[in-house]
Amino acid sequence: MRHIVRSAMCLFAIVSMASPALAGNALITPGTPVSVAKSGLTVTPDREWNKLGARPGRNSETWTLDGDELNGLNFYGGIQSGKTLFREVSKRTKPLPHFSTTMLLTDIPEFLEDSYRIALGTSLFSIDAIEPVQFLGTKAVHFVYSFRRDQEDISRKGDATATIIGGKLFMITFEAPTVHYFGRDIESYRHLVGTARLATL
Amino acid sequence: MKKRLAAVAVALAGLAAPGATAVPELPPYAEAYQPQGTDERGIWMLADEDERVLRDSKFLIGDPALRDYVTAILCRTVGRDRCHGVRIYILRVAAFNANMTPNGTMQIWSGLLLRVRSEAELAAVLGHEFAHFELRHGLAGFRHQRAALDIAAWAGFLGQYGGAVRQGAMGSIYQFSREQERQADLLSLKYLKQSPYSAQAAAHIWERMMAEADATALGRKQKSTRYNRVPYFATHPTNLDRATYLADLARDVPARTEGDAAYVDRVGTWRREFLADQLKLNDFGGTEYLLGQLAASGWSADLLYARGELYRMRGHPRDLAAAADFYRAALAKQAELPEAYRGLGLALLRNQQRAQGCEAIQHYLALHPSAPDAAMLSTMISQ
Repeated sequence: MRHIVRSAMCLFAIVSMASPALAGNALITPGTPVSVAKSGLTVTPDREWNKLGARPGRNSETWTLDGDELNGLNFYGGIQSGKTLFREVSKRTKPLPHFSTTMLLTDIPEFLEDSYRIALGTSLFSIDAIEPVQFLGTKAVHFVYSFRRDQEDISRKGDATATIIGGKLFMITFEAPTVHYFGRDIESYRHLVGTARLATL
Repeated sequence: MKKRLAAVAVALAGLAAPGATAVPELPPYAEAYQPQGTDERGIWMLADEDERVLRDSKFLIGDPALRDYVTAILCRTVGRDRCHGVRIYILRVAAFNANMTPNGTMQIWSGLLLRVRSEAELAAVLGHEFAHFELRHGLAGFRHQRAALDIAAWAGFLGQYGGAVRQGAMGSIYQFSREQERQADLLSLKYLKQSPYSAQAAAHIWERMMAEADATALGRKQKSTRYNRVPYFATHPTNLDRATYLADLARDVPARTEGDAAYVDRVGTWRREFLADQLKLNDFGGTEYLLGQLAASGWSADLLYARGELYRMRGHPRDLAAAADFYRAALAKQAELPEAYRGLGLALLRNQQRAQGCEAIQHYLALHPSAPDAAMLSTMISQ
């Protein structure tokens, strides 16, 4: 009996190591609308993406092509007032700013910048361009940014489209190293943002 | 067994007491000192490689004039001959820190330049870091750590006593580090005493650091750590310790020049950039305290603008009203400050004062038509 129990435990250990439940990664197939970030937000990708099991926060989700260090697509599906953009590194020593319903669209780039500066421990972050766009059928902000992580000499670029609907923040960002990856994959990201829809809340 | 334990205890006691705590005399100076022995040559080799990477880092502030200014303060503090063994690298990091490697590479972070308020205070920090270099603390620390880790590893053979011995050995590493910091503080004070700068400045830094930490803690609804005991893993004495013994030792020294006006003048152009980094750290209490300190001799337009940004970013209705007042005060001092119109407009718009907000934004766009967010702001006020 003890032998059986031990065998079962070993089997469970092996299965749990191999099972995607631990990682939770999944392949996203192109051409069909996919619900993202546990929200009413859907997108229709034009190519295969890998959805990562590890989420940046409760209402968010990350997709990638070659690994999130090389090309990371982040969906934020309705960040509520009083919540941070993503999970805090240290609530005590490095608390992140909180989203607020009263924020203007121009406050969103600052909100993202401050969150990144604190979480990544970097002072090299700049918002390079901000422009008005339509997103999810409403007025939105599109902005481009560049940054480096703490003491890391890889230059990274980011592109984000965001809006506030019903007092919640909806945003899609794409980030990649400036060299090669950003230019290669940016069009695919822009196409994806164009397909974004929000189910009636 | 008892004998062996006693021998280990003696070894640990030796580790825990790294030397006299009295102020060391200025060590003999050797021009173009070269590392001696295997250990020192090894750590210099690693430090040389780190410096090569640091030299090309994008976090470096590429302002030779600022670097030369800081170097000149170091030279006035420790002497013209000695300071030539040091290369100074100023990094864009929004925290109060500086460090020194065994081969003479000194890193200064921009958060430190934002916080010190005179040449004398900067001299105290530079002297402290230089003392680590001159006393060859890197080498001594490396050797101590190796010996302590050896004891910790062999403690496994001591049975029931092993845990206590291992804990003692590990603790001695941190105690040794704290003692080195204290020695560097004391030697720094010696440099200051024979420099043109006021020795009292050293204690002032730590007093303000404690007050800023308290303000940060209060802003985050946390307790002050000012009177906390020295934590087991602390590498430095507490700020209170440092402020106390530095003030005591400098009490009878005649006050000399602080160099505060010269400092503000030379770092002034960078202060706005460093403040912008600080504002983005989500530290309302600490930043508010820091702004108050920087404005000790009066609120300039830059400082008022920064205070407006701080309040606008926190964004409570009362903050938005206060922010608008700060922006207006900044504009009263300097009418051609486009960013203040932008901040004022956004604070008013967010506080539902649309007409006035739109007017301020229009003013901003008129002053800065090529602003990167011009299209976005135009759309917002045309809605």
